Amino acid sequence: MFACIHAPQLPADLSLPDFAYGFSPIVEESAGRTAVIDAEGCELLFGSAYQLATDIARLAKEPRTNGGLESTVNVALAANPDAAIHAAMRLKGITFIAAGEELTCLGELPVTALEFSLVNVEKKLADEIFETLRLWGIRTFQEFASLPVTGVSERLGQEGVRLQQLAAGKTERHLKVKQPAAVFANSIELDHALHELEPLSFIFARLLNQLCATLNAYALATNELTLQMQLADQTSYERTLSLPHPMRDHKVFLKLLLLEMEKAPPQAAVKAVSLTCDPVKPRVLQHGLFVPLAPAPDKLELTLARLAKLVGEQNIGSPVLLDSHRPDAFDLKRFVLETRKNSKFEIRNPKSVLGFRMFRPPLRAVVQVDRGLPAQISAWNKQRSVYGKVVNAAGPWRTTGDWWRDDGWARDEWDVAVETGKPGAEQQAVYRIYRELNSGAWFVEGNYD
Amino acid sequence: MYIELHTRSAFSFLEGASVPEELIAAGLALDMPALALLDRDGVYGAPRFHLAAKNNGLKAHIGAELTVRNPISKSGTCSIPVLVKTREGYQNLCRLITLMKLRVSKHAKPGECSVTSDELAAHAAGLVCLTGSFDGPMAAALNGGNGDAATHAGQKTVDWLTGVFGRENVYAELQRHFNREEEARNQAVVELARRNRLPLLATNGVCHATAARREISDVFTCIRNHVRLETAGRLLARNSERYLKSAAVMQKIFADLPEAVAQTVELSSRLEFTLKDLGYEFPKYPVPDGETMTSFLRKRTEEGARWRYTGRNGAPTYEQARPQLERELKLIEKLKLEGYFLIVWDIIRFCRDQGILVQGRGSAANSAVCYSLAITAVDPIGMDLLFERFLSEERGEWPDIDLDLPSGEKREKAIQYVYERYGKLGAAMTANVITYRGRSAAREVGKALDFDEDTLSRLARLVHTWEWKDPSDSSERQFRDAGLDLSNARIRKFFQLYQQVQDLPRHLGQHSGGMVICQGQLDSIVPLEPAAMPGRVVVQWDKEDCADLGLIKVDLLGLGMMAVIEDSLQLIRESYHEEVDLAHLPPDDKGVFEALQNADTIGLFQVESRAQMSCLPRLRPAKFYDIVVQVAIIRPGPIVGNMVHPYLKRRQGREPVVYAHPALKPILERTLGVPLFQEQLLRMAMVCAGFTGGEAEELRRAFGFKRSEARMKAIEGKLRRGLQQNGITGKTQDEIVLAISSFALYGFPESHAASFALLAYASAYLKCNYLAAFTTAMLNNQPMGFYQPFTLVKDAQRHGLKVLPIDITCSDWLCTIEETPETPHALRLGLKYVKGLSQQSGQAIVRARVVRPFTGIDDLCNRVPELRKAELRKLAAIGALNFIQGAVNRRDALWQVERVTRAAGELYEELAEKDGDSPLLPMSVTERMDADFRGTGLTIGKHPVAHHRAELDKLDALRAIDIRKLRNGSFVRVAGWVIVRQRPGTAKGFMFLTLEDETGVSNIIVTPQLFDRYRLELVDHPFLMIEGKLQNQDNVISVKAHHVQPLAFKVAASQSHDFH
Repeated sequence: MFACIHAPQLPADLSLPDFAYGFSPIVEESAGRTAVIDAEGCELLFGSAYQLATDIARLAKEPRTNGGLESTVNVALAANPDAAIHAAMRLKGITFIAAGEELTCLGELPVTALEFSLVNVEKKLADEIFETLRLWGIRTFQEFASLPVTGVSERLGQEGVRLQQLAAGKTERHLKVKQPAAVFANSIELDHALHELEPLSFIFARLLNQLCATLNAYALATNELTLQMQLADQTSYERTLSLPHPMRDHKVFLKLLLLEMEKAPPQAAVKAVSLTCDPVKPRVLQHGLFVPLAPAPDKLELTLARLAKLVGEQNIGSPVLLDSHRPDAFDLKRFVLETRKNSKFEIRNPKSVLGFRMFRPPLRAVVQVDRGLPAQISAWNKQRSVYGKVVNAAGPWRTTGDWWRDDGWARDEWDVAVETGKPGAEQQAVYRIYRELNSGAWFVEGNYD
Repeated sequence: MYIELHTRSAFSFLEGASVPEELIAAGLALDMPALALLDRDGVYGAPRFHLAAKNNGLKAHIGAELTVRNPISKSGTCSIPVLVKTREGYQNLCRLITLMKLRVSKHAKPGECSVTSDELAAHAAGLVCLTGSFDGPMAAALNGGNGDAATHAGQKTVDWLTGVFGRENVYAELQRHFNREEEARNQAVVELARRNRLPLLATNGVCHATAARREISDVFTCIRNHVRLETAGRLLARNSERYLKSAAVMQKIFADLPEAVAQTVELSSRLEFTLKDLGYEFPKYPVPDGETMTSFLRKRTEEGARWRYTGRNGAPTYEQARPQLERELKLIEKLKLEGYFLIVWDIIRFCRDQGILVQGRGSAANSAVCYSLAITAVDPIGMDLLFERFLSEERGEWPDIDLDLPSGEKREKAIQYVYERYGKLGAAMTANVITYRGRSAAREVGKALDFDEDTLSRLARLVHTWEWKDPSDSSERQFRDAGLDLSNARIRKFFQLYQQVQDLPRHLGQHSGGMVICQGQLDSIVPLEPAAMPGRVVVQWDKEDCADLGLIKVDLLGLGMMAVIEDSLQLIRESYHEEVDLAHLPPDDKGVFEALQNADTIGLFQVESRAQMSCLPRLRPAKFYDIVVQVAIIRPGPIVGNMVHPYLKRRQGREPVVYAHPALKPILERTLGVPLFQEQLLRMAMVCAGFTGGEAEELRRAFGFKRSEARMKAIEGKLRRGLQQNGITGKTQDEIVLAISSFALYGFPESHAASFALLAYASAYLKCNYLAAFTTAMLNNQPMGFYQPFTLVKDAQRHGLKVLPIDITCSDWLCTIEETPETPHALRLGLKYVKGLSQQSGQAIVRARVVRPFTGIDDLCNRVPELRKAELRKLAAIGALNFIQGAVNRRDALWQVERVTRAAGELYEELAEKDGDSPLLPMSVTERMDADFRGTGLTIGKHPVAHHRAELDKLDALRAIDIRKLRNGSFVRVAGWVIVRQRPGTAKGFMFLTLEDETGVSNIIVTPQLFDRYRLELVDHPFLMIEGKLQNQDNVISVKAHHVQPLAFKVAASQSHDFH
């Protein structure tokens, strides 16, 4: 005898199989919030099969603290697990189907209600069969079951026969018992809230040790580690470490976690700690015999983390030019060690032979203009000053863009030779100055070597 | 002074952002005496550019940016700007473009379509070459290397170009857009030019008329490259400098090289050619030895006239017609149009020889010569039509003959005949410029702005599907209704761009039937290119451009009704053994006029629409001219101009016939003082506003094609001034202006209406006298017309036609006429109506059946292996297999079909059950109807509504036939299947529904308020019950809805014909 539980309004955070384990260790989780249990032998524990069904329905209504599902469930008992599933899914309350009486109970159900996946029929094929049955005027389980098997076999194939058996409640199969999945998470609730990082590091070490042992047991590594902590002020704290390569060294993880927490420590004492990771296949590397060894990825990651702590996360990485006419448009991407063969230094414009030193930030300048050309410049800050008469100017070089955004730009650039007049130094220097067309402000952007 | 000699328009398709008229307007504002248009590989915009320049007193230089395979860099192509110096140069340019375009398919990738250096050299005469912009040959050479290598490549490029064009025809082009790389290149170009003594020429490589239009240019770049603005990066323009700049600005930019600016004026003076000197000659027709085209045309006209003008049946005699014919022929000869008339006559002759029905429409029907040559079927002398509407010396415009042919293969046959006869380079279709409009504009601009799919859909939905637009529908309100916030900068930007992009060219399509003919030299007049359809060639200009430049054309239009009439005649011949001569139909068939007066016009040409039906009982056509009026009156022109009701009232004698001005009496007498035809508006403008014939035609075209708002305003001003001078002011003036403006847009010429009326009469005659043949032909030529096949079948059944079901043992692919014991002419539905049955399978069934009848479903399967399982199922479900031996009902057939399509294999052969042992129950009546609709889209059984009549009776819902007996003003309830939904632009928000039941159709009027209340039901629901007040005005019966209730009847695949 099999009992099927169908919970149409099951709260998302509750597990129906876990509830079913309370009645039998042999549980199959079916689609659509349904679980089937093998009730064989349960009568010794729960009395009659009807009593079992009543107990299931009663307990399901109980609050979760009492082990319930906080919702009403349909329970069906049948000699055939699939008949039990159909009954639980389609008939409300408790249904008891005696062996051989499947069609009496389910005969009026529409054929489209057949759970075709139970007999390994694909949806596309099932839909095709349902369409054929519609054309034949076959609407119910009863009508389908009454067709001659040979006729069905000849016309709808073995899949049709299996579906017909399903409708008749005559399938024979074993339950697909659910195996608990591996968990790559670890957590601990502390007796006393911790304020200091040092005692916390022991907790982290313990959790990470266990986590890495689990990864090791499954021959996996991780490239994403998430730390969640419950704080004494009822808030939570969360950090995620994204790693460029999969690793499973608990010592490195610990150092990285501590560096991460030093950057932004929690604002209150810690009550509970939880660590989860995303398991992936580990990276396997074969180094070349003549290729110089690069730093170990874990050490590099630690170094980068330390640097990020010093200079700020937004100021570290590899610069990448953006595909834009916007002057000085670049971005920083995460630094990743790449060993490129035949790496070649590329210059966007091979004719630009002058070197250019960029002032960061650009120097705010006062520029006198004569007949549209810059005539005199003065600009200074603590580090440098640019002052003098413009003796030659080329420009303007105009760029405007991103007009569809609020931060569109428009500027005119000039390359100017400025007579510095400084004794002992070079008499002239060549600068790039620009004027923001929206604000009218002038800047010195840098000088040519 | 400065003249811009390198300008691209939006006709560079996504590489330019302003239409030619905008460029000319900008040039005019900058006091430029001339301007050159160089579109990418084409002269698409040249006619509009030329016309706009002519109207504004500018000289329009023509040229193009040619994609050429670069022999110097050997890698890829470059773009060489060329300007036309002489007519020979223009012809060479057209030939070069034709060469490159016809070499590849329409959808060739950029770069695939190019000319070689040798081809360029062979066609360089009369052209001036510029060294180009960033994508030109000089830039390719100078960008390719450093220092000496670049200089060397530059020198080789100069040698190449001077070798091809001659040293005096190569100009070193300099553009300054405030860009370092460009300036570096300019320095090298200046050095090369000085070394080679080439003149320097300043241009601005204009892509848009004003700086603000750069935004559209960027959006177009995104659309062209399938990217978003955010990700387009350096594909976008570096700045907005590619706009038309004044002489002062250019002189300042080129202050160090003043000779480059001065050279633009010098070069402009060298460019003699404009499109005025196109060199187009009217096509010649090859005549037999000893004949001239004039003599040949005269003979053919005389032959035809003697056949047409017999004096019988009220027709004039030949002698009566002769003066008019002579007048026309003299004018034709004077205008040297004999070749054109003979070419059209030749097409007509070909069609007649091939048994293809053909009839001229439009203004050609005003000509007695056309009537004599059998080009048209309306006698202009008998009908007193105005010849000048067709051809007038004064107007300086060439005639336009439109021929209606049966749509489909036969029309294609006629088109291919013209190609064959005049050569691939001698005939081509006119283009149809597809512009950004409505949804396409919303979607593509939205995509460029990176809106997500949901927002894009909402934006696209903003563009109304219904023709009617509520005047209170401001853009802001529409946006708000769609949940879009105009205070959001990006949405606001979208709105601006969406408006700016309207009407800009998107791509070139093919006009449905316009052909230009030029006897083997068309490619020297206008470039030709391949159309999407194999075997078709199109010119780069649209119909209007061709007309503007005086190119003569013939329109070969496909008309579904021509195909229906042609098929009907054939069916009558085969099944009724009678010959119907279209040219000599009895003019006063009683049945035809009865049907028209009773609005019993489903399936009839031009008079079957809901609006026509509601007008017919009021107009009560009693003679042929009434049908001409009927065809012309239900047009947006008369409706917008408020002409319909005055005409009907005057016709019924309820209103006196008065004229807005006494001068209008001779013009409008025939139409009871109400203008109904385009000829009348021409005459009105001539008589009341002092317009010349040419000006009147210009007025018609300005209003008729809505090309330019400004052009319309200007001509309206002129019209009003003219009326004022003739003392017509105030309300009368407004009335006349309204009549003219509304008419020009949508009105029919009288001759055109007469041609259509002939077809309407013919279709009515065939339906009334040969219902089986007519309905069969209608069903075989679907989709066409106003109604779905289901309605046509039901209408035919109501008229007594017996319709037989699809039967595999006797149905052909098309519907046929069959003799049955009850009737000699029953309609047998064809296999074409089985949804999902391929033509290949259907025809295979017919072929196999001809050999010997099918003995069973097994036999059918074996002998027609093309039949797929789904097709067999469909045939079984609709009952088409019921008559094969062994099957008795649809379910039996379905049971068998499933078995025969799944072979059991030899091992199980013994186990196989016998045919006919079906355990399935036969289909019920409603199941059969459902299967019919699913499988064929129609049923020959009871009407779906009839199945629910008992329920409807309980609800007091009346039948369509019942409400005709009720009094005006009665409160009624009708129910039916919605077969037509309409919300026309002229109806001020009213919606019109046509409901059908087993007894006929009832017409429903829905007010805008009710439409808003029941929008969902009215738009989507297939079955409706309507309560409302019955309106019976002059036997025009309709129900003004007060309440709408959807009915839950189920019919698969029920779909109304919706007009948006």
